[in-house]
Amino acid sequence: MVTYETDGQDAYKVRLSIKTALGANAYEWNESEQFLFRATLAFAMRKYTGQETFNVSSVIVCDETPRVSFWFVVTNPNNTATLIPKNAVEEAVRLSRNRINSAFLLSDKTLQFLGIPPTLAPPSQPSLPVWLIVFGVVMGIVTTGILALIIIGFIQRKKKEKTIEDEDEEEKQERIMENGISCETLEGKDGVNNGAYSHDEDRLTQL
Amino acid sequence: MVEDSRPSWENPMQFVLACVSYAVGLGNVWRFPYLCQMHGGGGFLIPYLIMLVVEGLPLFYLELAIGQHMRQGSIGAWSAINPYMGGVGIASVVVSIFLTIYYNVINAWAFWYLFHSFQGTLPWAECPLSSNLTTYVPECEKSSSTDYFWYRETLNISSSIEDHGGIQMGQALCLVLSWMVVYLCVLRGTEATGKLSDLADPKAWIDAATQILFSLGLGCGSLIAFASYNHHNNNFEKQAIVVSLINSATSIFASLVTFSIYGFKATFNYESCLDRTQLLLINTFDLTEDSIKPDNLDDWISHLNASFPDKFATISSQIEGCDLESELDTAVEGTGLAFIVYSEAIKNMGLSQLWSVLYFSMLLMLGIGSMLGNVAAIITPLRDSAFLTRHFRKETLIGMMCLFCCLVGLSFTTRSGNYWFTIFNDYAATFSLLFIVLIEIITICYVYGLKKFEKDIELMIGHRPHWYWKITWSVVSPVLIIGLFIFYTADYIMGGTPTYQAWDSNLGKTVTKEYPPYAQAVIGLLLVTSMICVPLVALITFIKKKKEQAKESKIITTAT
Repeated sequence: MVTYETDGQDAYKVRLSIKTALGANAYEWNESEQFLFRATLAFAMRKYTGQETFNVSSVIVCDETPRVSFWFVVTNPNNTATLIPKNAVEEAVRLSRNRINSAFLLSDKTLQFLGIPPTLAPPSQPSLPVWLIVFGVVMGIVTTGILALIIIGFIQRKKKEKTIEDEDEEEKQERIMENGISCETLEGKDGVNNGAYSHDEDRLTQL
Repeated sequence: MVEDSRPSWENPMQFVLACVSYAVGLGNVWRFPYLCQMHGGGGFLIPYLIMLVVEGLPLFYLELAIGQHMRQGSIGAWSAINPYMGGVGIASVVVSIFLTIYYNVINAWAFWYLFHSFQGTLPWAECPLSSNLTTYVPECEKSSSTDYFWYRETLNISSSIEDHGGIQMGQALCLVLSWMVVYLCVLRGTEATGKLSDLADPKAWIDAATQILFSLGLGCGSLIAFASYNHHNNNFEKQAIVVSLINSATSIFASLVTFSIYGFKATFNYESCLDRTQLLLINTFDLTEDSIKPDNLDDWISHLNASFPDKFATISSQIEGCDLESELDTAVEGTGLAFIVYSEAIKNMGLSQLWSVLYFSMLLMLGIGSMLGNVAAIITPLRDSAFLTRHFRKETLIGMMCLFCCLVGLSFTTRSGNYWFTIFNDYAATFSLLFIVLIEIITICYVYGLKKFEKDIELMIGHRPHWYWKITWSVVSPVLIIGLFIFYTADYIMGGTPTYQAWDSNLGKTVTKEYPPYAQAVIGLLLVTSMICVPLVALITFIKKKKEQAKESKIITTAT
C-alpha cells in the first residue's frame, strides 16, 4: 500500500469545471467517471513510455472534493512502491492532452492540471498581414484619384488658355467702351447690391 | 478690395455642410461626453447651453460676418479691418498649422484600427502568446488586450518622453495615407469641400465655455475662410445659428451613445469581476461549482473568512471588491476613450468586425471633415497672397503644405510620439485660441467700431443685428473670455511642473511623470509663437507708418 502526501513531490492536482463547460448537459461526477480518468491517464503513460504495463491500478487518486478536484499519483508498474517522477507524468499528460480532454468533453481551461500549463494554439498568421492588403487597396484608390484630378485640372487649364487666346483675337476687333469703362469688367457680376435700397427678404439666399 | 473671380460655394447648403463638417469633430464624440460625466451628467448641459447662447453663437456669427464681408482669408480680412490688427490673422494661421500637424495623426490611428478590423478575430480581443506558447504576454495580462493593442501594437510606446525610439512604419504609412486623403479632398480648392456637419462648481462653467469655443472651431480662421467664399448676401445669421445648434445637438447625441457604451463596459467589467472572485473562492476552498452566485457572494466571503481565516488570508489580497459604481466612474479622456474604451466595447458585441468597421469609418469621416476646415484656414490666406498665387499653381501650393505637415507629423509616429502628441493636443490650440478670440472681439467692437460693423451686416443681409448680439459682443463675451484667461493662467502658474501620463510596460498601467525642461520649452514655444504675432505685427505696422510719415514730411519740406 503506497502512502503519499498531497502536495508531495510527484503528485498533481486536477480540477474539473464540468458545469461551466457543459451547462445543462453536465454529467454527474461519480466512481465510473473516476475510473475513466484513471484509465485515460494510464493510456497517456502507455503512449508516452511505450510500455504496455501501465494499468488503471497504477493511477491512484485521493482527496476528492465537491468542486470536482483531486490529487493523483502514478505508480511504477514494475515496482509499485515507487512513483513515476513529476516530469515524466507532465510530459505524458502534455502529449495526450487532447485525448484526455475529449474523453471528458472538456477543454484545457475546464480540465486543469495544476502545474501543467496548456500549450496554447498560436493564432494563424497569414504570410502578409491582412491590414497591409486593405491599406494597399485604399492607397491605390486615393493615388488614382489624386492623379486623375491633377490631370483633369491640367487639361482644363490648357483648354481655358486656348479659348482665352481665341477670345483675345476677337476682342481686339470689337471693343465696346462706355464712359471709359470696358463692359467686360461688369460681366460675371450681377451688379453691386446697394443694401440701402433693398429691404426685400427675397434678396436673401434661402437656407 | 473686390475680387471678381473668387470661387464660391455652389449653393448655401454646401457652405452649411462644410461648417457643420468642420465643427462636428472628434471633440464632440469623446471630449463632450467625458466632460458631462465629470461634472455630474445631465446637469452639465445647463452651463453648456448657456455658454453656447451667450458666447459660442455670437462669436460664430461674428467670424462668419467678417469672412463674408471681407471676402478674404483671416490674414487679409484682419489687415483690412485695421492694419495694426493683421497679426490676429497670422496668429490664427499659426494655430491652424499646429492643429493641422497633429490632428491628422488621429486619422492615421483611425485608419490603422479600421484596416485591422478585417480579421476573423479582432486583434485587440485577445492577448498574444509569449514565445514559449504557454502563457500570454505579461504586459497584456497585467493590463488588458485593448490596452496592449493600443500602447504596444499601435503606438509601441516608450516608457517616457525622453526615450525617442524610431519611427513606427505602420503609423507612418497610415499618416501618409491620411495626408493623401486630405490632399485629394482639398485639391480642387477648399470651396469645393462641401460635404454631406453640480452647477455651483466654477470648473463646470469654465469647462462648458472652453468646450463651446473649441467645439465650434472659433479663432482658427477656418470659419472666416469658409465664409469668404460666400456670396455677399448670404444669410449667414440663420446659418450661424443652425450650425451651432447642429454642433451642440451632435455633442448631446454622441453623449447618449457614449454613456450607453460606458454602461455596457461597466456592467461587463463588473460581471467579469464577480466571475473572477467566484472562481477564486470555489477553487481555493474546493466548493461545488454553482454554490456561489453573485447575490450571495458577500455572504460567502464573510462566512469563509470566519470559518477558515488562515486559508482566506492567503487569497485576501486577490479579492478585488467588485463595485459597479467605481466601474462607472472611470472615464478616460482624449485618444484613450475613442480607441481603447470603444474598441473594448466593440470586441464584446456580436458581429464585432462590422461594428468596428462602421465605428472607425465614422471616426475617420469626422476627423477628415475637421481636417479640411483646418487646411482651409491655412490655404485660403496663402492663396489670397498675390505673390504666392503668381509663382505657384494651386495644386503645387496645397501639395507643398500637405507634404510639410506630413513630414513634421512623422515625428508623432515615433515611439515617444504619443507624448508629444499630448503636448500639442493640450497646449497648441487652447490658450492661444482664447487669446485670439478675445483680440478678435475687442478689435471688432472697439477698434473697428460696432456701429460700422452693424452697417456692414445690414449691407449684407438687409437688417441690423439684434441688440442681443450687440450686448454679447461688446460686453458679455469679452468679460467671459477674460475670466477664462485669468483662470487658465492662474491654474498653470499654481499647478507646478506640468505632468503627463507615461505607460509603464512592467506594471501594465500609466504612471505620472514630470515633463523634462526641453518639453516645457516646447510648450512655452507653442503658446508664444502664435500669440506674439499680434503685438509683433502691430509694432511692425507702427514702425512702417512712422517711416512713411517721415518720408512724406521730408518730401513736403523739400518741395516747399
